[in-house]
Amino acid sequence: MESPASPKPRVLMVEDEEDTASLLTFLLERASYQVIHAKDGRQAQELADTMAPPDIVLLDVMLPFLSGLQVLTYLRAREGWGTVPIVMLTADGSEHDIKRALENGANDYMVKPFNPRELTSRLKRFVSQAA
Amino acid sequence: MLALDQSNLTLRIGSIAAISIYSAVLLLLLGILLLRFIRRNKDRRRRAVTETWRPLLAQCVVEVPDSLPPLTTRDHLVLLYLWNHCYESIRGEARTNLKELARRTGTDQFAKQLLHARLLRRRLLAVVTLGHLQERSIWNELAAMLQADNAFVSLVAAKALLHIDAKAAIPLLIPVISRRSDWSPLKVVAMFEPAGADIAADAIAKAACEANPEIGARLIRHLAATQSQHALPPLRALLQKGAPSDDVLAACLFLFGECSDPRDVTMIRAHLSHPTWFVRLQAASALGKVGVEEDEVRLIALLDDEHWWVCYRAAEALSNLPWMTAERLTHLCNALTTVEAQEHLLPFMAQSNVKTHRPAPASPPQARTA
Repeated sequence: MESPASPKPRVLMVEDEEDTASLLTFLLERASYQVIHAKDGRQAQELADTMAPPDIVLLDVMLPFLSGLQVLTYLRAREGWGTVPIVMLTADGSEHDIKRALENGANDYMVKPFNPRELTSRLKRFVSQAA
Repeated sequence: MLALDQSNLTLRIGSIAAISIYSAVLLLLLGILLLRFIRRNKDRRRRAVTETWRPLLAQCVVEVPDSLPPLTTRDHLVLLYLWNHCYESIRGEARTNLKELARRTGTDQFAKQLLHARLLRRRLLAVVTLGHLQERSIWNELAAMLQADNAFVSLVAAKALLHIDAKAAIPLLIPVISRRSDWSPLKVVAMFEPAGADIAADAIAKAACEANPEIGARLIRHLAATQSQHALPPLRALLQKGAPSDDVLAACLFLFGECSDPRDVTMIRAHLSHPTWFVRLQAASALGKVGVEEDEVRLIALLDDEHWWVCYRAAEALSNLPWMTAERLTHLCNALTTVEAQEHLLPFMAQSNVKTHRPAPASPPQARTA
């Protein structure tokens, strides 16, 4: 008898840049993730209010309406989201953002431009640790 | 009879004017409709190209697709924007695949043609693309562009040269950096990012040494952004060689403070009594970052400087010394002989008292790094 296929891990991706979002979606789907895309900080908040906590969050720092750091604080304050791994995507050289993100509960960060292989392997590590 | 003729003429002129106005308005409306039609068609076409090529570019990050759709000249222009965005979003071996895709679609040849386009934005797009593709055949054209009147064009060309061959580009760039007052030092620092911080620091420091005092000082002040110690040897040599301008001297002292290399303490101390106030100011600030315990006395002496800002920075430097405590600062203040010197220390004493008596947070935020 065949064992039922394990469900794909869900990733909430918060990214406003369409080209980058498309690239990330391709990479994540190829790495067998189910991608839930929020186009800005506000949409990320709305999704967080309605959906069950995902397996991992990939969160851009520079977002319209609400910054990634504000979204991070919001997500961390929500019930059930405290242990969800959150990986920040930051622009090159913004050490201040990185420091603040880590202080506010982010688990890791990736600097743009990013190495696709490194990104997927980091996400995989977090998801397998949580499983 | 004459009156009737005149009214007929007026009527005729009026109707001609009315018809002319209506025609003009109609033509204008038609023009607007035509422009909107063209614009909408362009947008539709751009969307179609984007929808086709975006997934292909994403796939390219992993492997170059076997078959690629045909491209018209107009489509190719859109692809160029998408390709550059994708290239700049990623790093590592994935970029090789994107270069392979560019060669297969003839993007290198297309960009070379665009180099001579009438529109500036197309020329810039070509320079950026060919820089990413490390196209050596356009080296001389890019080198000529460094002298362009438009600062943006010259900066983009410089960046492309660095992408193609950083080692060969730096000797070309140093004299240009030292000459161009319209190049923002921040942009210069950013331009060198792909080449690495150490190469950037060394090149910019050398350019600053060759530049006139105004440009040189601006470049040196921004060297701190590279966070590299490689800028220090050329600047030390410059200071030892002779007396540079006060602006350059002050900028060097600022950088010595930022880099905090103990080897520069002697040089910093030597400028605490410089005749120019802003040089003394930078020396005092730098000494606050690099100084040792014996420098405390030197900073205290500066509290009686004739220039207010020097006293202020000396007081700030004293309060920032790593071993300075609120008690020690109070003791030091009480031992001062002049009221003016004491007054300079007072705000920093208040600050250090606040720091000392601030209650510690119940649970300090902790970074949960992986």
